[in-house]
Amino acid sequence: MNINFSVEYFIGRFPEFIKFLPITLSLALISIVIGLVVGTSIALIRTYEIKILYPLSKIYVSFFRGTPLLVQLFIFYYGLPQIIPSLGGINAYTAAFLTLSINSSAYMSEIIRAAINSVDKGQMEAALSVGMTYFQGMTKIVLPQAARIAIPSLGNTFISLMKETSLAFVLGVSEMLAAAKMGSAASYRFFENYLAVGIIYWIITILFTYIIDRLERNMSKAY
Amino acid sequence: MKFNKKGIILALTIFILLVGVVGCSSKTVSETDKNIIKIGTSGGYHPYTFKNDKGELDGFEIDVWNEIGSRIGYEVEYVTSEFSGLFGMIDIKKIDTIANQITITEQRKEKYIFPTPYVYSGAQLIVQKGNEDVKSLEDLKGKKVGVSLGSNYEQIIKEFDINNEIEVVTYEDFLGSLQDVALGRIDAVLNDKLAAMTNVQKSGLDIQLGGEPISKIENAFPFVNNEQNKELVEKVSKAVEDMRNDGTLEKISKKWFEIDITKE
Repeated sequence: MNINFSVEYFIGRFPEFIKFLPITLSLALISIVIGLVVGTSIALIRTYEIKILYPLSKIYVSFFRGTPLLVQLFIFYYGLPQIIPSLGGINAYTAAFLTLSINSSAYMSEIIRAAINSVDKGQMEAALSVGMTYFQGMTKIVLPQAARIAIPSLGNTFISLMKETSLAFVLGVSEMLAAAKMGSAASYRFFENYLAVGIIYWIITILFTYIIDRLERNMSKAY
Repeated sequence: MKFNKKGIILALTIFILLVGVVGCSSKTVSETDKNIIKIGTSGGYHPYTFKNDKGELDGFEIDVWNEIGSRIGYEVEYVTSEFSGLFGMIDIKKIDTIANQITITEQRKEKYIFPTPYVYSGAQLIVQKGNEDVKSLEDLKGKKVGVSLGSNYEQIIKEFDINNEIEVVTYEDFLGSLQDVALGRIDAVLNDKLAAMTNVQKSGLDIQLGGEPISKIENAFPFVNNEQNKELVEKVSKAVEDMRNDGTLEKISKKWFEIDITKE
């Protein structure tokens, strides 16, 4: 094998890839926000075993945890519009973040459910005893404590989600990894392209990790 | 809990979301405009379709379609996607056709209609440099051969290999398969003759052609089989024929390849 690593080309790739950073980051962050909201709702449905919704949520979590994200993207974007034509109007970007949200919500719901369960039952009883409603006890006492417990695991989910945005290229969303693939195809410089894109992903992960750490520390201050 | 830091994170999140939403909304195109034809391509298949130094889509397929577009009076718009997603896009009408050296096969003919072919080629084996043992499908028995996922080359091997003596390895990415053959992880790659020739010359990998082309291949643009497309396919056919007759196809071919690949 002839190794001729071009430092100049390698450095030149960074500005190219950074152009796609808004797509990668926005996909990840929109999905995190939606995933968190949906995931928390599912966690509450499962914790309180709400009628009808409970079995449905179990199927939901089981399916989205039990199938690869790529399969879900194909089903959602290419499969469903053939059955429901109105879904054909969804653009690839929207389809990508919806699928990522749904997928990550399944994982997050399990993390949040475990966190809620780990908060001592006495906390809710105490909240009720001082005259709070169930809802108040949940939002003011139990969830904040559960959030603190859930944060490290949620951080993991965020990081994998950020990397999984690269799958969106199968739907035609040109994101960072797509740019790297096309770049290496045009120049035959695989090593430079993938190393550069890898470093960018790594840096984002380090930033994410830092934010999560700070959040964790701040939320633990009361303890 | 400290709210100022959470506030900063929240503001940052909202900002990035806005960038994303604005970024994608500006890309939406009106689908009602009838004079736009959307072409799906992988953008990762040099020299057929790739991103050039300026970051623009370039290559043989792109030149061909720009010319067809201007001849049939359509504005050509390109959609890049992973190759494995392209046929899905055609089915849900996100694109009208694919320009990625698509080979006409019997199976594809059942579902799609093709205008007249614009490229004639052959299936070619690519082997590690110095490997003189693999020159035909017969030589592949008991060995591993790489093909691109969703391509017609797997079919060629299946039809030949009735006793299941050849191990087929599918790749998401043609260049990935070339890397593997250069590294000796597989014994050969079966792909298009022209792509093979180009890559042997330009990739810098330790690879060479293995024997003569195995079978004849005709490339054309697949369109979903419906009434509306029949008319369009006729227009495209006529444009391709005209381009072949007046030498335009040959000119585009010579720009990207050393030979004319557009004649039988």
